[in-house]
Amino acid sequence: MSEHRNGFLPINTNTFDRVFIAVVLFVALALLWMRFIEPFAPLWIATVISLVIGQWIVRKG
Amino acid sequence: MTRSFIRSPLMTFVFWLVLSFMTLFPVWWMFLVSVRQRVDLFGTPSFLLDVSRMTWGNYQAVLSNPTFQKYMINSLIVSTSNAVLVSVLGLLAAYAMSRYKLVGKDNIFFWVLTNRMAPPAVFLLPLFLMFTLWFRVGDWSLFDTRLGLVLLYCVFNLPFAFWLLQGIVDGIPRELDEAAYVDGASTFTVLTTIIFPLAKPGLAVTAILTWVFAWNEYLFASTLTSVDARTITTGLAEFVTVTGTNWGQLAAVAMLTLLPAALVLALVQRHIVAGLTFGAVKG
Amino acid sequence: MRNSTTGWLLIAPTLFILFITGLLPFLYVLVVSFFDWNTFAVNPDPHFSGVENFRRLVFDEAFLYSIWLTLKFTFFVVTSQLVIGFGLAKLLSRNVPFKGVFRTIHTLPLMVAPIAVGATWRLLTIPGLGPIPHFLQKWFDVSYILSRFPDQAFITVVLMDIWHWTPLVTLTLLAGLSNLPREPIEQARIDGAREWQIFWDIILPFMKPVLLTTVFIRLMDALRTVDEVWMLTGGGPGAETRFIGLHIWRVVFPKTDYGYGSAMSLLALYMTIVICWLLYVAMTGMKDNKQ
Repeated sequence: MSEHRNGFLPINTNTFDRVFIAVVLFVALALLWMRFIEPFAPLWIATVISLVIGQWIVRKG
Repeated sequence: MTRSFIRSPLMTFVFWLVLSFMTLFPVWWMFLVSVRQRVDLFGTPSFLLDVSRMTWGNYQAVLSNPTFQKYMINSLIVSTSNAVLVSVLGLLAAYAMSRYKLVGKDNIFFWVLTNRMAPPAVFLLPLFLMFTLWFRVGDWSLFDTRLGLVLLYCVFNLPFAFWLLQGIVDGIPRELDEAAYVDGASTFTVLTTIIFPLAKPGLAVTAILTWVFAWNEYLFASTLTSVDARTITTGLAEFVTVTGTNWGQLAAVAMLTLLPAALVLALVQRHIVAGLTFGAVKG
Repeated sequence: MRNSTTGWLLIAPTLFILFITGLLPFLYVLVVSFFDWNTFAVNPDPHFSGVENFRRLVFDEAFLYSIWLTLKFTFFVVTSQLVIGFGLAKLLSRNVPFKGVFRTIHTLPLMVAPIAVGATWRLLTIPGLGPIPHFLQKWFDVSYILSRFPDQAFITVVLMDIWHWTPLVTLTLLAGLSNLPREPIEQARIDGAREWQIFWDIILPFMKPVLLTTVFIRLMDALRTVDEVWMLTGGGPGAETRFIGLHIWRVVFPKTDYGYGSAMSLLALYMTIVICWLLYVAMTGMKDNKQ
């Protein structure tokens, strides 16, 4: 759980840190999407993108 | 000016003196306003106290005002109950942390401390809703009660007491309570006859600091009380918005608000910096 | 080791109270932020509205402006306090007579109720009564009216915060400086290093943990400043000193728009956490810097 891994992120992280980063990015992307991109593309695209990125960070970060 | 001159002990002394003057000046000015007669307040500001024209009228007016008396009593009751509560609970929790093997100890410790860091404005709304909607029995609710404030102030004072007392309990030799347990003492006996007496100085510091923090609190008190449980800090704020221009009395209330902090300052000075930085820096 | 059940019993009241006053409100605010709930609306009962509150929020200019002000304020107070505090700590690190008394005086602002700090500064700045407007007018011919000029209000709020919290920075850095090891510095001096090199290569790395903690504490406090600003300017003139905490408390709270207010609270919390975390990572976490 709390082992430190050498992933692609520029900092040393454990699982909790990576989940945290994923959630932070998810919220930030969703908010920015709502402000700037939503007239052109629905919000669920942002959700899918965030989930993919989040998955990637938690697995490989 | 050469480097060595700036670094000389005399200059250090002068710097401290200037700095102390700058620190005290606003408070001194407030004191002057609070003891001046109305006619002396305006015109060219004078920074000296004219003893012959000094008056305690503002203090008398404030202290004889029944609303203000109530606020002050509320503040005293809330701060004192809260300080006692968090000191006792903090001591128990610190003892548990220090002497028992608890699963996830470090995570618990971290979580407890984060409570102190949380911005209070963020929690106003949910706490207001909880106090008015959840914690109610018939007509009575936790909103606008002193009990509500006492519980609420735990959110920042309890982590503080917990952290401060843990360092103190850790400093009490384990052998003392182990020996007592071997003699057949109960946990309660050990706590009251060994831990409590040895932790007394630390408990005093904890109680004083948490008391001042509770006394100083404003945001929660202003939102989660309306009439009955208002505290002195909300009274001070009301002075500005309601009565408008009675600066002398405003200054008197503000002086009364900061008085406790000034009084205990010398007693706990060493612990304040360490306390505010959670021990990352020894004061 | 004693029976751990007793340990849990001893710590249970603390955890219980903090659960009620700390964790529960957070979970509650999280849930409510996804609901449309306004007690004075046509439909006063809460009903689920998805991310509608947040959608409104990202277009709410008043809210975004208060966030911008908060960030500006935080940046100014934290950097200036750090610079002033460090300078003072360097100047004051010598032993002088009455140092204890001076330190006690210096600690005073830290213990004063923020609301009283606001009152103090208000008395200094009221036109006609306060010395600041009087002497600015007399000596520099500057008219200083907090309720009229946004820049003056903002600068005064920053100055007040500097008065209030610089002592904390000074005292923590003083403590850090007094723990500084003597030998490397003297060795560097013998080797002919310049003062700024010593400062940069020896003093700063040693002070890093203390500096980091101080910045951290100040950052978190500055982001949630409410009381003293409310007392000094009331958030005004207009909304020019209405920081995020003040905005939530004075504007959103009285409107009983609970869902929207919750979303706003949550976003303020998000901002606080992210800023603190970014700072923490920037100052400690980089892999390259380690070892």
